[in-house]
Amino acid sequence: MRKLSMLVLVLSSIAAPLAVAAESKIDISSPVDGAKLDAKAQNKLDYNITLGGDGDHIHVYVDGKQAALLRQMRGSYTLDPLAQGNHELCIKIVNKNHTPIGVDRCVKVTVQ
Amino acid sequence: MDSQNLAYAIAQIVHNFGAVAVVGGAACALARGDAGTQRKLAGLVLAGWLTQVVSGGTFGAISFYYYAKFPDIHGVAVAALIVKVVCAVSGFTLATWQLLARHSEVSRRYSWLAMSGLGMLALGSAAVLRWFS
Repeated sequence: MRKLSMLVLVLSSIAAPLAVAAESKIDISSPVDGAKLDAKAQNKLDYNITLGGDGDHIHVYVDGKQAALLRQMRGSYTLDPLAQGNHELCIKIVNKNHTPIGVDRCVKVTVQ
Repeated sequence: MDSQNLAYAIAQIVHNFGAVAVVGGAACALARGDAGTQRKLAGLVLAGWLTQVVSGGTFGAISFYYYAKFPDIHGVAVAALIVKVVCAVSGFTLATWQLLARHSEVSRRYSWLAMSGLGMLALGSAAVLRWFS
């Protein structure tokens, strides 16, 4: 019985990081995917992050190019003015060494 | 204990000791002018720069091992990394030059001053690289 409890303890300690990693989550509440943005307006990216696992902070990307490093896990990031046309806004959770941990969320917007 | 954080921590410890060797070694050489001591310190600084390069590369290797990706850095961070690499190559070259060739006291002193500057510049760049991406 004691061996069994030890086994459960060992297995749960191995599985624990995986379980936490699975909780990593990114919500982009605004703009929504497919939104149309005004080129003259000051556009913002509203987000809510659950880091989980090995996540440490987030990187924001506009059209694949890094635009910001943010350590606040819930907030609103003011985007630089965007040219008219289609754009992709992405957030990636990264670890302490700035390496993406594989959790990201992107929205496509059209600026007009 | 998380193996990934442990790996990063070990690389950081080695990297920090490399930094101590390059900056401290050059500072000691400036304080102690005799050629014999400076030759020994040149060996220490050479080992320090080598340690810096290997442990620095290990940070990227650890990221690649766990995520199949290298750190995602841009702009200021890339500039800081380039400065660090240039410092390491220059410091390594100067330390080798100190170790292998015989020089006048004046040229040795200028060389150690340059190595001190390179060490401090690399340390400053490391801080920028850590906090920017």
